Amino acid sequence: MALSEFQLFRPKTIQSAVALLAQHKGDIQVLAGGTDLLPSMRQKLFAPKYVLDIRGVEELKRIRVLAGGGLEIGALVTLSQIEDSEFIRRNYPVLRKAAMTIASPILRNMGTIGGNICLDTRCLWYNQSYAWRTSCGFCIKKDGSLCHVAPGGSKCWAVFSGDTPPALLCLGAEIEIAGPGGTRRIALADLYTGLGDTRLKIAKDEMLTRVFIRESMSGYRGAYQKLRVRGSIDYPLAGVAVIVKSSGRHAPVQDAKVAITAVNPSPMLVVGADHALIGRAVDEHIATVVGELAARTAKPLTTSALTPEYRREMIKVFAKRAVLEAAAG
Amino acid sequence: MKKELIELRVNGRIHELAAEPNKLLLDVLRHDLGLTGSKRGCDDSSCGACTVLIDGIPMLSCTLLAASCQGQEITTVEGVAEHGGLAAIQQAYGRWGGAQCGYCTPGFMMTVKYLLANNPDPSEEEIRNALSGNLCRCTGYEQMYQAIRDAIEAERKGLAASSR
Amino acid sequence: MQKEFSIIGKPVALVDAAQKTTGLGKYTDDLSLPGMLVGKILHSPYPHARIRKIDLTRARAVQGVVAIVTGQDAPTSYGILPIGHDEHALVVDKVRYVGDNIACVAATTEAAAENALELIDVEYELLPAWFDPEDSMKAESNLIHENKPHNIEKEYHHVFGDPERGLAEADYVAEARYMANEVTHAAMEPHSTLASFEFDPQTGKQGRLTVWSSTQVPYYLQHKLSLVLDMPMSQIRVIKPLVGGGFGGKSEVIPLEIIAAVAARAAKTPVKITYTREEVFWAHRGRPRTIIDLKTGVKNDGRITAVRARVVQDGGGYCSYGPVTILYSGALLGALYDIPNVQYDGYRVLTNKPACGAMRGHGTVNVRFAFESQLDEICAHLKLDAAAVRRKNLLKPPCVTVNGLRVLSYGLPECIEKVANASQWPVRRGRLGRGRGIGMACSHYVSGAANSIIKSDMPHSTVNIKIDRDGGVVVYTGASEIGQGSDTMTAQIVAEVLGCSMKRVKVIAADTDLTPIDLGSYSSRVTLMSGNAAQRAAEDVRKKIEQAAAKKLNCSQEELVFRGDLIWRRGAELENTGEQLRAQGRIEGQILRESVLQERKEQDARDHLSFEEAVVAAIDFSGTLTGTGSYAPPADARGGKFKGAGVGPSPAYSYSAQVAEVSVDEETGQVTVHKIWAAHDCGRALNPVAVEGQVVGSVWMGLGQALQEEMIWKDGLLMNPGLLEYRSPSSVESPEIETFIVESVDPEGPFGAKEAGEGSLAATIPAIANAIYDAVGIRLREAPFTPERVLAALRAQKSQKKVNMTEGVDPERPVSFREHGGSLCFRGKGPTRHPLDPAVREQSKAEQPSPVGGDD
Repeated sequence: MALSEFQLFRPKTIQSAVALLAQHKGDIQVLAGGTDLLPSMRQKLFAPKYVLDIRGVEELKRIRVLAGGGLEIGALVTLSQIEDSEFIRRNYPVLRKAAMTIASPILRNMGTIGGNICLDTRCLWYNQSYAWRTSCGFCIKKDGSLCHVAPGGSKCWAVFSGDTPPALLCLGAEIEIAGPGGTRRIALADLYTGLGDTRLKIAKDEMLTRVFIRESMSGYRGAYQKLRVRGSIDYPLAGVAVIVKSSGRHAPVQDAKVAITAVNPSPMLVVGADHALIGRAVDEHIATVVGELAARTAKPLTTSALTPEYRREMIKVFAKRAVLEAAAG
Repeated sequence: MKKELIELRVNGRIHELAAEPNKLLLDVLRHDLGLTGSKRGCDDSSCGACTVLIDGIPMLSCTLLAASCQGQEITTVEGVAEHGGLAAIQQAYGRWGGAQCGYCTPGFMMTVKYLLANNPDPSEEEIRNALSGNLCRCTGYEQMYQAIRDAIEAERKGLAASSR
Repeated sequence: MQKEFSIIGKPVALVDAAQKTTGLGKYTDDLSLPGMLVGKILHSPYPHARIRKIDLTRARAVQGVVAIVTGQDAPTSYGILPIGHDEHALVVDKVRYVGDNIACVAATTEAAAENALELIDVEYELLPAWFDPEDSMKAESNLIHENKPHNIEKEYHHVFGDPERGLAEADYVAEARYMANEVTHAAMEPHSTLASFEFDPQTGKQGRLTVWSSTQVPYYLQHKLSLVLDMPMSQIRVIKPLVGGGFGGKSEVIPLEIIAAVAARAAKTPVKITYTREEVFWAHRGRPRTIIDLKTGVKNDGRITAVRARVVQDGGGYCSYGPVTILYSGALLGALYDIPNVQYDGYRVLTNKPACGAMRGHGTVNVRFAFESQLDEICAHLKLDAAAVRRKNLLKPPCVTVNGLRVLSYGLPECIEKVANASQWPVRRGRLGRGRGIGMACSHYVSGAANSIIKSDMPHSTVNIKIDRDGGVVVYTGASEIGQGSDTMTAQIVAEVLGCSMKRVKVIAADTDLTPIDLGSYSSRVTLMSGNAAQRAAEDVRKKIEQAAAKKLNCSQEELVFRGDLIWRRGAELENTGEQLRAQGRIEGQILRESVLQERKEQDARDHLSFEEAVVAAIDFSGTLTGTGSYAPPADARGGKFKGAGVGPSPAYSYSAQVAEVSVDEETGQVTVHKIWAAHDCGRALNPVAVEGQVVGSVWMGLGQALQEEMIWKDGLLMNPGLLEYRSPSSVESPEIETFIVESVDPEGPFGAKEAGEGSLAATIPAIANAIYDAVGIRLREAPFTPERVLAALRAQKSQKKVNMTEGVDPERPVSFREHGGSLCFRGKGPTRHPLDPAVREQSKAEQPSPVGGDD
């Protein structure tokens, strides 16, 4: 399964990277950890004329505590670095917990936070070889016109399968995007379109450069619960991140957020979960209510191994458990 | 596609070679450098048979472009033997049945080398977690744990002997 | 025979271990030859279609393409069984599954070959396809193979004893349908073959062919290559380099092995083909989806009176080992215990999916899951202890089972004892509280088939030994090392017989030019058959050394003892330690012969010789020492005379008993296996480390099939053809497996040894099913026990709101196999399906699916 032919660029700075993006707009793919892009290129899901290997951009490999408080994470920070960061463990535990569940230790050494945020959506009908896709007549996300999991509509339901974005959504993270006109900063929540095919609101000459988490979000207890068949390697089949702020285990919740992944084309904040939790002490009942809310947000289809009905049930269970775990600290 | 001249540092030696930009590190190691120890077991970056160390850290050589690895220190399974003899972990894997068909073994060698370099006395759970990125289809992993513990013991004895 | 062994029974590192841990050992894909091309195969995108035309014009024009071959280049059909020659290396008339082989491009680079594949224009005539085995059995037209009515590859109907009466006499009869989904070997090494022709110096044309291949059966490969390429076998050399696991997936001739040779012939230069992982899944030959309708009658005390089984196997598009699989399912069903009356109806059915074949525990695994589960249900119903019921139904060897299998050694009672004790079965079964439980199951397996695939009375294994003046012992065996330790076992046996060190022994294996014929590594035959041949060859050569040594030591041959690289006059060896004597007696090659003679003159009345001295003395008599030994199973182990009686009989059977401890998360349905106690009767453990490794590996593979491995199909399309989505267990969810080796010392085995590599697998799946029942009281009759199936059963148990989590198949009462829920009917580019295809029919009647849930 040879990769298609391309010209490789290895810029050392953001400026030169962005300039190359602008120059070859549309024909170029950004390569960071490669754990998502390279297997997909082998399956001929991407055949760019140019590949922009940004692994040499040193300034994006740092986790930095900002002078005014808060945290900056370069897009090239590996998931292992996040796992190993004492600062993140202490202040933003939900992020570390989510990062630790990703794929396998080897893949975490390679995969980056930027890559996890920009992860391509996945589907059993899409992440297949060219020959395989030929035999199903291709799909709406690539080379075809039908979504096999929802043939009636014209929407792509490929599922977002990143583990850190729900944690980052809970933390209200912002991201920095560099483009020809300089950088812009948006809420992570505004990055995703909710569509399986055109999943990111990021222009073809732009790239994600940094992630920011406000200091005010430190000190939240957090939990990440992930459904998978195998204890390692697997992408999530459902995932729930929860953060809770309170003065103690049985004290009323001051603030909370719940987000889910792997059951929609985007990671989603669970609307209403904060209201259900704030002002109350967490117990089994409240946690169950949050589980129901999360399940309402989830719209799984047969994009993945386990049945959508089961995955939706698990969103309920895992949301409940994550709430209880986060509350318990 | 035009080949380009690249320079790779593998097992302490510098190799200059011409390779297309789309060549994977695994293919360059196996085809251009004749280092066939690293194996291809899957095509979706899941099995770990091609694991090498890049600047000391385990990574999948099937998921790296060769040209991207210039300037980094690459260690393959061929670079694990020490002082002209088998490393303790290589011997222990043989003695304890850690390798059956042996196809996944080079990947495990790299993972275990990294584990023991960073955590000389890992718990059972730490060992399991560390190995969880490499798939083996023969052993059920059980005899690997024994081998790893034996290698740790051998290293310890070796250290004690050399410090005497 | 010596009572105490010096080599066998001791843990030994595999002789090729260092090659593997250093990465220096060569597997087929590691080899290359000058001028070698890359071969890539075009696979069918349709499950069932006639090929009208193949146009290679555009593909040939691709730069780097040297040759393209199609079915016309090798039109002879073949198959692993003489009764099943229904395959072509590349199809000639029609394709029978998505992934069937159409053409092969040999090119200078992988990219060129892959680009050319996309430019091969094939015109198809679509045919309706068959995916469900029970549907397929009703087929009247559009048959998969014209000569197989109703798409039934083979059916067998066996009656032993009087099952009708047995069931009538029973106090209780249990009856249920069990289903096991399809699993595959997923050996870590993808199949690879390198083929190269030599030029004949006489004719100047292509002459001899050499094929290096990842095979478990080099000799069968040589045989089939000869058939398809129309060359004498003597002109074909098959070499098996290191093989990265087989588990049955390499135990027959896989299309690429012949395609590579055909392509090399056309390209006139060596061609190597290595499968992608997806192609490995298409080549498959794994364990078929199986439906087992099982009825067991028992007396109130648990004594089994009769068993009746109807088994349907979804065999895929070609015969492969199918008839053997369906026969094993029947033959081994009734032979683990003493069951007086057995009825078996087995159907091997063709469907438009990749062919199934042999996989670890060939044929026995799925029926054993059903039987051991049903036995547990019976125990629950009659309130009997599962261990006690198994003890009540034991065979009484030496005996012949009701279906004609000869059993001489039977370590099952001890196996049950071991695991029951270790797991504290009597006090823990049913007493671990809700959510946690333990379950027991047993299994057995053959130590090689007593009848070979190709009927003959010739030996199944032959081993030759050569000892020259250097004192080195070279063993030539056709047995195929595939990671199970076959080379090591051979070296151990020879070293034991010759009383020499392992270091002295070099094993040359599985090269048809050098080594005598051996049928290969499948159905756990190597230790017993090749082991016996090795032992006989070593005894043969030892006799020649004995003659010379007896003269030198002035004693009779019977008085000699071979031990510690020395040959002793009996009694003397007890007074001396080996080390110093070895040093004293060492010689180095033929140049020292004179000095040896000199030394001998000086030493009169010696009580021992060094190995080298004895060898040199023997060479004085006969030239280079050679010995040969072979093994053919004895006539009385070859089974009965009825149709299909040839499959099942073995010289000896291994036995296994297991207890699994699990906990079940009742909210998620996730099952955690905490520990498995596994006892295995391997006759004698020649190398305990290797035996343990085989037992643990089998149990672990059974665990994968029990909990998470499953090939997911949608109308003939495999949804998970990769190691990311086909989930073999990783180290984190693999439980502790404690093994107990039971040695029943079989009279037929070499030093009493039987098989160790497969028999334990089958017990694991029902042990886990029974443990789940003990934990939460649900009876899962469809494997694997994925969390969705477990949860569905738990919900039903608690009569909670029903959620369809299993595509409509009740895991406690499965009726038919589930399909992946997506759609194959599409608009736009790419292939269409025949209007009568289930995919199309379903689509036209179904309303559009919408996302599950949403804002409800």
